[in-house]
Amino acid sequence: MTPHWILSLDGIGKDFVFHHQQGTRIVVFEQFSHQFYPGSATILTGSSGAGKSTLLRMIYATYKTGSGSIRVRHGEDLVDIAAARPAMIYTLRKHTIGYVSQFLRVVPRVSALDTVIEPLLARNMDPAQARKKGKALLERLNIPSNMWHLSATTFSGGEQQRINLARGFIAPFPILLLDEPTASLDLKNRRTVIDLIKETLADNTCVIGVFHDPADHREFADHTIDLAPMTNQEMMQPCPEKD
Amino acid sequence: MSRVQENDSLPLLEVRHLSKFFGKQLGCHDISFAVSPGEVIGVVGESGSGKSTLLNCIAGRIQSSNGAVLFNSSVGMLDLCRCDEALVRRIIRTQTGYVTQNASKGLKMHISAGGNIGEKLMANGMRNYRQIREQALAWLAKVEIDPGRIDDLPSTFSGGMQQRLQIAANLVNAPKIMLMDEPTSGLDVSVQARLIDVLRKLVSGLNLSMILVTHDLAVARLLCHRLYVMKQGKIVESGLSDQILDDPRQPYTQLLVSSVLKP
Repeated sequence: MTPHWILSLDGIGKDFVFHHQQGTRIVVFEQFSHQFYPGSATILTGSSGAGKSTLLRMIYATYKTGSGSIRVRHGEDLVDIAAARPAMIYTLRKHTIGYVSQFLRVVPRVSALDTVIEPLLARNMDPAQARKKGKALLERLNIPSNMWHLSATTFSGGEQQRINLARGFIAPFPILLLDEPTASLDLKNRRTVIDLIKETLADNTCVIGVFHDPADHREFADHTIDLAPMTNQEMMQPCPEKD
Repeated sequence: MSRVQENDSLPLLEVRHLSKFFGKQLGCHDISFAVSPGEVIGVVGESGSGKSTLLNCIAGRIQSSNGAVLFNSSVGMLDLCRCDEALVRRIIRTQTGYVTQNASKGLKMHISAGGNIGEKLMANGMRNYRQIREQALAWLAKVEIDPGRIDDLPSTFSGGMQQRLQIAANLVNAPKIMLMDEPTSGLDVSVQARLIDVLRKLVSGLNLSMILVTHDLAVARLLCHRLYVMKQGKIVESGLSDQILDDPRQPYTQLLVSSVLKP
């Protein structure tokens, strides 16, 4: 029995037009299709600019999809992210798709612990219970307890990234998008993150990520997608519309 | 930021083809959008783009030239531009709040902080002095103003405190929607951060909808679910806040986003 996909990209296209830079148009995807399955890890590879982060952001709806569909299983339903209404996107982001970006977007005056447990509170978890869970995860990621109540504004890059990771792993999601989550971590914390990824895979989460270290690939990847950058000719096309 | 109602129920407020002309001068033209319960909408754009005109039309502070503002009130969907004036005034007083950039315009500067809050409660029929005072004290605490300042005049408050007092005075009647015109402009960044923090907590705790007019894209990203970009009185682009700020498609939006330091 083949397990059914949880996420299906069909014929998607994406370009960027820079209206104030001579209308340069960069095509990143054209007719790209792929299916992703529960409990499997897919690593996106390819050189810088090949569209790895772009693909994750399109799945998370941070980038608008130019053409094609991105269908996701949301409970009993199939939802096309490329065409979904905003209220549906909020719901998907709350329950179905988690995303760990390359950098934490720090909010002044909000403590590290509160930053981490926000996804749980969004699901109406009891705050005391959420804090308990958050503290356990921060401990696992070696954030000293005297820092939990400080805003992450003054934290180092590695510390901020661990706060970001804790926020990403605190609530279970059927799909988890990871954009270079281990880039600024030392060996010990990297080990912890890889363990967290393996645990979430065991919980049947579909993990899609960008990882640069081949060691990470060997640890948990089921598939890799090599995004070959389009040739210059394919990629750079004159913009049809004029600013 | 996270408790928008998930069903496809009626919007709380819907603006349909709203236009406002000042003589021949265009204020805003053919604006349409809807706000769901609990949703925070940002309207961004440069000065003179018609953002405040739009907000004032929605708030009933200026009369629109064309179009409708539908509000899902306790008595059903009402067009605030068309229905009975007394009813509109009552709905605006009890179910909407309006916060201006200049707190001294939104507050009565010659009556105490507590009086500014209490006045709103009395306007809605509360008469018990002790209850009014208790509520005023509770609201001062919620917006992080020392309750010991309840009897002081707002003119003795700092700009940030005045702004928080204005917000408290607006929220005391539990409106369904807050209309805010550049609430953080003119404040120091640290004071701004505190105001934003207070707003974030209030919005998520009260399932409050908000239309926030701002030219500050960082504030918009922090507080808003969705953004509308206005230029010369018209909406040129709209979408989820991160879509607009991270993947702007329209020339004007690209210019706006690329003109600020790290939104």
